[in-house]
Amino acid sequence: MIGTQVVAARNALTHRWQRLSSFVGDQEPLAVATVGIMTIALVSALVGFLLVSPFTIIPFGIFLIAASYGWLNYQGLTARMLTLSMTVSTILILLLITLFIFMKSVPVIQYESQSVLGVSVPGLRMFTQVQWDAVSPPIRYSMVPMIHGTVMVTTIATVVAAPLGVSAALFLSEIAPTTVRELVKPGVEILAGIPSIVYGFIGFTILSPWAADQFQITGQGSYLFVGIVVGLMALPTVVSVAEDALNSVPESMKSGSLAMGTTDWQTMTSITLPAAFSGVSAAVLLGVGRAIGETMAATVMLRGVPQLTKPLYNAFYGQATLTSLIANNYGEADGLQMDALFAAGVILFITVIVISIGSQYIEWQMQRKLGGES
Amino acid sequence: MAGATETRLISRDTSGVDAIAAVTIGLSALLFALSLAALFEIITISDPVAGIPIVTLLGGILVLLGGVVIGFGIGSYVGVVETQPSSSAGLVASATFSLVWFALGGIMAQVIGVGGITWLPIALIIGGAAFAVTAVLREDIGSTLPAGAVTLFIGVVYLTGTIGPAWIWELSWEQQASLTAEFVIPVGTLFCALLTGWAAAKTYGGFGARGRRMGAYLLIYLNASSIVGVLFILIAFTTLKGVPGLFTGATVGLGVGPTVFGVTLPISLPFVMNGASLFNEFQGVLPAIVGTIWLVIGAVLFAVPLGVGAAVFLTEYAERGRFTQVVEVATNGLWSTPSIVFGLFGFAFLVPRFGGNKSLISGMLTLGFMLLPLVLITSREAILAVPDEYRDASAALGVSKWQTIRSVVVPAALPGVVTGVILGVGRIAGETAPILLTMTGGTFVPGGQTADVIGGFQFTATPPFVANPELLQATTALPFQLYALITAGVGLGDTVSSPEQFQWATAFVLLFIVLSFYAVGIGARYYFRRKLQHE
Repeated sequence: MIGTQVVAARNALTHRWQRLSSFVGDQEPLAVATVGIMTIALVSALVGFLLVSPFTIIPFGIFLIAASYGWLNYQGLTARMLTLSMTVSTILILLLITLFIFMKSVPVIQYESQSVLGVSVPGLRMFTQVQWDAVSPPIRYSMVPMIHGTVMVTTIATVVAAPLGVSAALFLSEIAPTTVRELVKPGVEILAGIPSIVYGFIGFTILSPWAADQFQITGQGSYLFVGIVVGLMALPTVVSVAEDALNSVPESMKSGSLAMGTTDWQTMTSITLPAAFSGVSAAVLLGVGRAIGETMAATVMLRGVPQLTKPLYNAFYGQATLTSLIANNYGEADGLQMDALFAAGVILFITVIVISIGSQYIEWQMQRKLGGES
Repeated sequence: MAGATETRLISRDTSGVDAIAAVTIGLSALLFALSLAALFEIITISDPVAGIPIVTLLGGILVLLGGVVIGFGIGSYVGVVETQPSSSAGLVASATFSLVWFALGGIMAQVIGVGGITWLPIALIIGGAAFAVTAVLREDIGSTLPAGAVTLFIGVVYLTGTIGPAWIWELSWEQQASLTAEFVIPVGTLFCALLTGWAAAKTYGGFGARGRRMGAYLLIYLNASSIVGVLFILIAFTTLKGVPGLFTGATVGLGVGPTVFGVTLPISLPFVMNGASLFNEFQGVLPAIVGTIWLVIGAVLFAVPLGVGAAVFLTEYAERGRFTQVVEVATNGLWSTPSIVFGLFGFAFLVPRFGGNKSLISGMLTLGFMLLPLVLITSREAILAVPDEYRDASAALGVSKWQTIRSVVVPAALPGVVTGVILGVGRIAGETAPILLTMTGGTFVPGGQTADVIGGFQFTATPPFVANPELLQATTALPFQLYALITAGVGLGDTVSSPEQFQWATAFVLLFIVLSFYAVGIGARYYFRRKLQHE
């Protein structure tokens, strides 16, 4: 089994190599040389930049010269090489982000090791106790309070954004007359455009004092209202992705249902929504991803004390989320505490990437199911 | 679009019942508005209106609505009202009502004060009963009786004064919180108004398929209009609060303003034309505005060529396969990466490579990384939308692939790309979290420190031969300025005459700049689309 796979992989590789060499053979030797120099220069510039070398500018200059020479003489090939390197850069950036935030969080993961059955598990203590104390010994960097906060905020935000977002998407894609849609759709987009710090500012100056008064809580900041504000911010994501999903349901399916004499609401609930279900759930997932990563509103509106609320389901008090922890503490943090902030970043990053890949997988499934037409 | 049902094939005459149902919907809408007003303390629930306390008034309307809704159901059931009900109200309605009654039962049990978890079985029984009524009985009873009963019950509670303006329920939690009448009464009313409105809309449609459509449409339209309403309120509120601060010390007249490109402006607006200084009569946020502009320029210069180039490669050169799939995953991953993680990355990766301090260029590149996936995704869509006939026609003329791309594909896709870039810029211009860790300095920046990138270039004898201290300096930007103003809080009193006005004015200027990007972007898209349709 594995043997055949290896053979297949080798065949694919040789096939690719043959295609590449025949492609190179078709080009002028000088053009190939130019592109080769460009590639080498660009890679060395990148390496130089990674190594914090002051000489980075030299290979970069060579790259620029080679690129302009290529552009003047062999435009097609140069353009192809340039666009390829630009494409690779997106992957590169994601890899660099992963690499750097992981690297920075290694010390605190080692510090927070805990032994289980005699085996030391790095980073385990971040999740087995709830103490965050960066000043007085024992110094502990627990992530549990912040994970709790993020879960609380995200849950409330999802409860707000998911039903409202899906219903608004239904409205935009199936119900609204053209003129109304032309008005509401930009409105939803603008809702996404309002900077998070402005949401946070309004929440901080208006909503938080109001909530403190209404629920007679001590001090300001509650997960409940941060969740509602973050839900409002995640709403546009849910709406636009869910609307795309609903639009991708073939018109023939809807018309077929309507021809059976159903009302359009029946068509929506029994044909369109089920057919687009995976796309709509991907939309909700992406909304959840947005809510998890929302920083400024949470930072400004929460108390910023890394603690659990008492009792755990007390949403009227808001302490800190993973994002607000970073934004609150980056200023005075150094050494191990800064690394702990990176650990929080790693948790955020992993969660969000998993959600992103999951929702893409769901969307692929849906495209395959609805087949061919899109 | 499913437009086939727009003509009503079956049309009943408008009967008296329809009229009553319409009035009920209207009354529910009024109640909805009233409770919103009470929630946000535009009206106070303890104040009387025309001699009647508001709580009593709300209770009275609720009892009336509840009674009418139950009346609809029973009337339809015994055949007085002509309807076409289905055999059951459906699973969604059943689940909703059982949840509502479960919560209501639980709260009642807790308030009455049964010990331990005795409230759970009580709530379960009541919720189960509601489920049975909704799911088993015919639709007309199933969708009106539970809704009407909730409303009637809550109305009676308000009428009898069981929950009055002074009512309070202290949750005995370790971190103290209470539910007060000011919150519970409006929210309860709001909720009941939704239920009765929905039930009355169903009656208006005569239950059955048309009734359900009516009920659902009512809620969906309400949802859509409240989203637009929230947007409108947010913008209007910020504008109202921000404008006084913006125009503090503003003067209009010949030669009062600063000199720009040799022309003296006839208007002076200190808030956006001054920095902060002890000697200023009026403080301003000019350095922050200039910082934001440079940030945007830097990010665009970095991300747009990269994103558009990658989009060209992905759509024109690359064959769909493993590689494009990986790029797609990476792009979407970058799109969902939280902004604060970009900030951390910039802090760990860029800051040490640009002199070890927070700097303008680190902020530019960090925002550029954020902008890249947005540009890539929208450009790719725009390029994919260019019809293949264009490419074929160009290729048939014997033009090489790259020339086709350059002179046919990219120009045709340009409107979409430009729109995408503008919307993306609007998004990053308001970002705070990434620049927090990579770029920003103090709260109040003197006008003298306004970044002057063009004038800052110098050539040096040592590698890297080009230096620009302006790019390597920490500066400020509008979103950060607002954040700093919020966290600085009361301490502002010494430097600004009215800190609150100053904060709101900053928020307004930020919102204004960001929304102008959006307005231009959306307008451009609209314009290009109309042009395409006319061709």
